[in-house]
Amino acid sequence: MPELVPALLRQELARLADEDKRLDGRGRWDGREVSLEVDCLYNAEGSAKVIIGGTVVYAGVKFELRTPWPDRPTQGSLMCGAELRPVAGRKYEPGPPSPESIELGRVVDRGIRESGCINMDSLCIVPGEKVWGIMIDIHVLSDQGNIFDACGLAAIAALRTAMVPAERFDVGEDHRLEVNGTPIMASFTRVGGRYVLDASEEEELGGDERIHITLGDEGHLHSLQKGLKGVFTPAEFAEIFEVAQQRCVELRKLVAEKEGN
Amino acid sequence: MMGGYGDVQLLRDDGLRLDGRKIDEMRPVSIEAGVLPAADGSAMVTHGLNVAVAAVYGPMEAHPRKIQRQDRAVIDVRYNMAPFSTSDRIRPGFNRRSREISKVTAEALESVVLVERYPRSKIRVEIEILAAEAGTRCVGITAAAVALADAGIPMRDLIVGVASGKVEDTVVLDLDKAEDNYGQADLPVGILPNTGEIAFLQMDGDLSPDEFNLAMEYNFKAAKEIHEIMVDALRRRYEGGEV
Repeated sequence: MPELVPALLRQELARLADEDKRLDGRGRWDGREVSLEVDCLYNAEGSAKVIIGGTVVYAGVKFELRTPWPDRPTQGSLMCGAELRPVAGRKYEPGPPSPESIELGRVVDRGIRESGCINMDSLCIVPGEKVWGIMIDIHVLSDQGNIFDACGLAAIAALRTAMVPAERFDVGEDHRLEVNGTPIMASFTRVGGRYVLDASEEEELGGDERIHITLGDEGHLHSLQKGLKGVFTPAEFAEIFEVAQQRCVELRKLVAEKEGN
Repeated sequence: MMGGYGDVQLLRDDGLRLDGRKIDEMRPVSIEAGVLPAADGSAMVTHGLNVAVAAVYGPMEAHPRKIQRQDRAVIDVRYNMAPFSTSDRIRPGFNRRSREISKVTAEALESVVLVERYPRSKIRVEIEILAAEAGTRCVGITAAAVALADAGIPMRDLIVGVASGKVEDTVVLDLDKAEDNYGQADLPVGILPNTGEIAFLQMDGDLSPDEFNLAMEYNFKAAKEIHEIMVDALRRRYEGGEV
């Protein structure tokens, strides 16, 4: 059974692709409706809820005081992790972090870290003694496809709206975390032989490899990841890269709108 | 004897609590059913500053096989606090506290779900605490009950999680964070609102028999109020529209 259903689904997806159609009637580069809510959880210093179609994800930011690494006495740290717990879907099981959840967390982490939006030196309180450690935890509550984009969006939105809880740690006054940039991820999945943006759960089930592209404010690449079995050509990448540029501008605008409120 | 925090004032001079509530007043509660599209049933409960989400999957084949029961379904509950749900970050993963809460919550839910209808199967209940500000096990039970009903799983009754406790020698309904931390007792229960039975019971601290009776009286009063909000959430879900 587990093999049979995707085989039938694959046939149907290939047929639709020939007609340039998708299962849910979307165009190849159309995303599902995206909703973003920020500052929605009381105990998190920054928080965001993202809904993309039927995918629901929360991200929360916490701070801790720590001793800097000896070779980087003035630098704080940033860590981003994702949890794919059994709440997220029928296919998820309890247990230690799966390779999938580790990949997810690390791809989001790289996009944010490599964009340079957090100046690690700005997290220094006392050189060599005390720096801030920022932890972004992503919680996937409902997986109906493309959790990567949902997680990436939730993480950066939570980070950009985070308050540094200096008063609670007795190291000054609470202030907004300084974040210089809004790295955004756009993910593509090969479905029926060609790439589509924002794949649904069915498209992922009957699809092949995926490519995740994280772009900064200037359209520069900050993180790339190819996942699952499959190959692609440079021409295919050039095509999705164009789409990613547009998609990232749109989602970045959404984050800016919510921050303004 | 608990309550050795004499310097923390939890009741104001006007008799109200620090957050302005009366002693028998619960925090505001709102409930939404069907919030997680991937699940067979789901609910989100906001209770004061607490936020709990519950997802239900199943009935499904019981795995591993040794957990199967020939005559009924087993309910597999996981109560989990998100790393960002508390003031200090929690390391992800199960701990002793969440294991115990998961166990007694599962047993409470097995007491209300008509488990004998689904022999050899499993019903998964996932409780995720997104914001924790005292009373999360009760909020989780309430969320789980609405999620089970939303999944269309037959139950004898709903089950409502509520708690009362004691602060400054006074019995109060629905402890908040400060009252939980510095209070003298906490009595969380799971009440079946229609039958008046109790399926979940824990307590710690110090209560006289009279104080216990009063705390239970408060709990039953609050269960009735929350029950109406639960039913309302389910009704909105079935009608499929805004109210």
